[in-house]
Amino acid sequence: MTRSRRQLLRQLGLGAGAAALAPLLLQACRPGRGPAAGGGGNTLVMSSFPLYIDGDAPGAPGSISRFRRETGIDLRYLEDINDARQFFARIRPQLAAGRPLRQDLVVLTSWMAQRLIALGWVDPLPLEQVPNQRNLSPSLREMPWDPKGRFTLPWQSGIAGIAYNIKATGRELSRVDDLFDPAFRGRVSALLEMRDTMGLLMLADGQDVSRPTWQAAQGAFQRLEKARRDGQIRRFTGNDYQNDLVTGNLVACIGWSGDVAQLAIDQPDLRFVVPDSGGMLWADLMLMPRGASHRREAAEWLNWVYEPREAARIAAAVQYISPVEGVRAILAADPATAALAASPLMFPDAAERRRLHVFGPLDEQEEARWEERFASITEA
Amino acid sequence: MTRLARALLLLGSLLAMALLYAPLLVTVLFSFNAPRGRFNLVWQHATLANWRHPLQDAALTQAFLTSVGLALAASLLAVLLGGLMALALTRWRLRGQRWVALLLALPLTNPEIVLASALLNLFVGIDLPRGPLTLVLSHSLFCLSYAALTLKARLAGFDPTLEMAAQDLGAPPLQAFRRVTLPLLAPGLLAATLLSFSLCFDDYVISSFTAGDTITLPLYLAGAFLREISPQIQVLSTLVLLVSAALLLLATPRPARPPHDRAGA
Amino acid sequence: MPASPKPERRPPWPWLLLAPGLLWLLLLYLLPLLGLVPLSLSEPLSRFGLETVFRGRVATYGEVLGAYGPVLLRSLRTAALATALGLLLAYPLALWIRFRGRRWQPLLIGLVVLPSLSSYLVRAIAWSSLLGDNGPVLAIIHGLGLGGMLEGLGVLRGGRLLNTSTAVILGLTNSLLPFLVLPLVVSLQRIDPRLLEAAADLHANPLACFRRVVWPLSRPGLSAGLLLSLIPAAGDVVNPRFLGGPNERMIANTIENLLLVQLQAPRAAALTLVLMGLTSMVVLLQLRRGGLEELPLP
Repeated sequence: MTRSRRQLLRQLGLGAGAAALAPLLLQACRPGRGPAAGGGGNTLVMSSFPLYIDGDAPGAPGSISRFRRETGIDLRYLEDINDARQFFARIRPQLAAGRPLRQDLVVLTSWMAQRLIALGWVDPLPLEQVPNQRNLSPSLREMPWDPKGRFTLPWQSGIAGIAYNIKATGRELSRVDDLFDPAFRGRVSALLEMRDTMGLLMLADGQDVSRPTWQAAQGAFQRLEKARRDGQIRRFTGNDYQNDLVTGNLVACIGWSGDVAQLAIDQPDLRFVVPDSGGMLWADLMLMPRGASHRREAAEWLNWVYEPREAARIAAAVQYISPVEGVRAILAADPATAALAASPLMFPDAAERRRLHVFGPLDEQEEARWEERFASITEA
Repeated sequence: MTRLARALLLLGSLLAMALLYAPLLVTVLFSFNAPRGRFNLVWQHATLANWRHPLQDAALTQAFLTSVGLALAASLLAVLLGGLMALALTRWRLRGQRWVALLLALPLTNPEIVLASALLNLFVGIDLPRGPLTLVLSHSLFCLSYAALTLKARLAGFDPTLEMAAQDLGAPPLQAFRRVTLPLLAPGLLAATLLSFSLCFDDYVISSFTAGDTITLPLYLAGAFLREISPQIQVLSTLVLLVSAALLLLATPRPARPPHDRAGA
Repeated sequence: MPASPKPERRPPWPWLLLAPGLLWLLLLYLLPLLGLVPLSLSEPLSRFGLETVFRGRVATYGEVLGAYGPVLLRSLRTAALATALGLLLAYPLALWIRFRGRRWQPLLIGLVVLPSLSSYLVRAIAWSSLLGDNGPVLAIIHGLGLGGMLEGLGVLRGGRLLNTSTAVILGLTNSLLPFLVLPLVVSLQRIDPRLLEAAADLHANPLACFRRVVWPLSRPGLSAGLLLSLIPAAGDVVNPRFLGGPNERMIANTIENLLLVQLQAPRAAALTLVLMGLTSMVVLLQLRRGGLEELPLP
C-alpha cells in the first residue's frame, strides 16, 4: 500500500510539474511578440532564405551579431523561407485579412515581390532614412517589378545556370543539351523555381524570355516532361540539389551561382557555368510587409547592408552578385578576397551581362496556367 | 518444427529486424562522422567532436525544445480529455455509446493528410493565426483518440471489485477512486501519455499545415535537406533513442520468474 | 458496477465526462471535415484571396480525378506493395517472438516498438545515406554482382536505388513493420498451444500447421495490422518526398502541393475527400470482418 501511495505521489508530482511547465514552455516557444503587441522599439524581425548571409565564425562575428552590437537593435534574423511559394501560402491569410506579419522585412524573389506589391500587401520602405540607398547599382534601378523603387531594395542577385561535378561528368559542360545527355540519365535535376528552369530551356530553344508567351514555352514544357518521364531527370529540387551534388547522387543540374561557389570551397570538383544559350539573372529583394511597425530599425538595417564595407563582407560569404556599388573594389583590395573580385559570376562585365536574361512578367491568368502545367510535370 | 522451417523463420526475423534497425544504426554511426561540408550524409572519418558539442546547432536545439514543450502540452490535454471519455465509456452503459466509440475511432481511420487539410481549412476559416495554439489543438485532437482507446482498453481489464471493496470499507466514492483506481491506472496513464507524446513529438504532416511560423523538430529536419544536415542531428537522435529505450525498458514487465523464486513482497 | 441501472435517476456524470472530449472531436474533427464538402464545390473568388464562393460545382471532382487519378492509383499500389513486403517480414518475426521468444517476449516486443519512437525524418535522412548512389547498400549489391538481376527485376532503376519506387517502398515498409508485427503477436498469443500440439500429433508438417491452424487464427491480427498499415502508407508524405523522384509522388504530396503551392483549396478539398472516401471503404470492409478489438494499444 505504501508503494502505491508513493507511486501515486510521484505521478501526481510529475503531472503537476509538467502541467506547470507546459505553459511556460509554450510561452518560451511562442515565436516572439507580435508587432501589434510589441511596437516596442529596438527590435527587428526579418525572414530570409537559409545561408544567405555571413554567419558567425570563431573570432569573426557575422553581420547579424555585429549589427546587433553596433546599433543595439535586437535583430531576429529567421532563416525560415525554404520555398517562396510555400512562404507565400503561409503569410497569405494574415496579409489578406489586413493583419500585420511578425516580420518587418522579408527577402523574396522579384516575381513574388511583384505579386505582393500588386496585391497591396507591401508598405513603402523607409528610404528617406536610408542614405546608403544611393549605393544601389545602376543596373538594378527602375526595374519592372518596382519602377519607382519605393517598395524594394535588392538583397542579392544571382545566376541560374548549370552546376556539375567535373570528375563525374568527365568533361566540361557548356550547353543546356548536356543536361539531357543520355550518359547522365537519372543523375540530373532541374529546379522547382519555374522561371529559372523554363527560362534556361526556352533560351536553349531560341525563345525570348523577356516577353514569355505560352506558345513559346510549349517546346520547353514538352522537353522537360519527356525528360521526367524517361527518367533523365532524377528530381526537381529547391536548394536541396546541393546535398545531392555533394553526395554524388547528381552529376549535373540546374543550380545557382552562389550556392555552387560556396560548395566548391569544400569540393573543388564542383563547377558552375552559364550555358552557351544564356543564363537566367534573378534578384532577391528586401521588402516590408504591410503593417510592419519597426520602420526605424528596418531603415537602420537597410542602411547597414548598403554600406559597401558591410556589403563586401556579405558578398564574400555568399558569393552572389552584390547590388551595392563599390563592393568589387573593396574585395579586390584585400588579398584574401581578391580572387572573388575577378569572378565573372559575382561581377559580370558587359559581355557577360549580355548572356544573362531576366524572365519577363506573367499576368495572373498566364501565371496560373504556366504553374499548373509546370506542376503537372514536377508533381504528378 | 523442422530445421528448415526454423531456419526460414529465423532468416525472416533477422531480415525484419535488419530492416527495422538499419536506419537507426546508420544514424548512430553518423553521429560520430566528421562531415565534409554542410551535409552529414557521406562517411568521412570518425570523431568525437560532435558529441563534445551536442548543442552547437542552435536552431536544432531550439526546435527540439519547442517540440518537447508543445508535445507535452498536447499529450497532457489528450490524456485528460481521453481519460475522461474512457472512464465514461467503461463505467456506465450509455445509450449511443457505440456511436461515441465510433467517433473516437474515426480519426484513426484517415491518413494524416486528411486531418491536416481539414484543420488548415478550419483555422483559415475562423481566422485563427497558425502557431503554437493551433499546433497544440491539432495534436491534441489526433492524440485524443489514441489516448482514449488505450485507456479504455486498460479500464476494461480493470477489476471493479477493488473499488467496491474500498467503498465497503467506508471510503466515499471519489476517495475510493483516487486511492484505489487511480494508482492502479497510473501505468496505463503513463503509457497513454508516452504514446501521445511520441506521436505529437514526431508529427510532420499535421504540423507542416498548422504550425505557421513555429518550427518544431520534424519541420526543422525537413528543411535540413535544403540547408544543412549537421551531425548534431544524428547526435540528438541517438540521445533520444537512448532515452526512449530506457523508458521502454522501464515500462516492460520483467521476464517472469518461476514461482518458487519469489522472496516475498 | 451496478448490474441494472435505474433509467429514471441516471447521474449526469457520464455525459459530463464525455462532453469535453466530444466537443473536441466535434469542433476539431467532424466540423472541419464536413466543411471540406462545400469547399470542394466552391470556386475561389480571386487567385490570391481567401474567399471562395459556393457554386455547387461538381466538375471539380471530375477535374481532380482526371488529373490525379494516376497518382491515386500509384499511392494505393505502393501502399499495397509496402504492406505485402511488410507482411512477408512481419509473419516470421511475429511467429518467432510468439513461439520461440519465451521469457523474452516483452523485451522483443519492446525492440520491435523502439524504432517507431525514433524520428520519422531522421530515418529518412538515414535511408538517404544508405541508399545513395555512393552508399553502402549499392556497394554491396554491386560487390555481390546482383546489379544486373535486380535491374531486370525492376528493383534498381538505371543502377540507382535512391529516388526510385524501391526506396520509397523500403522506407514505408520500415515504418509499417511494427504495426504489422504487434497485432500479429497479440493474436498469435491467443492461440492455444495445445491446438498446435494436437496438429503435430495428427502428423501435420509445419507448413500444414501454419496453413490450417496458425493462419486462420491469426487473421484478426492480420486485419488490424492491415488497417494500421495500408491507410497511413497510402497517405504518406515523407517517404515519397525524400526517397522518391517525380514519378513516385503520392497523393498526399499532391494535396500538399495543391494547398500550399498552387493555392487551390477547392481542388485540394475534393482530393482530400476522395482519399477519405477510399480509406473509409477499406475500413468498413475490415470492420465487416472483425471488430476493433485487435488494435495493439499499449
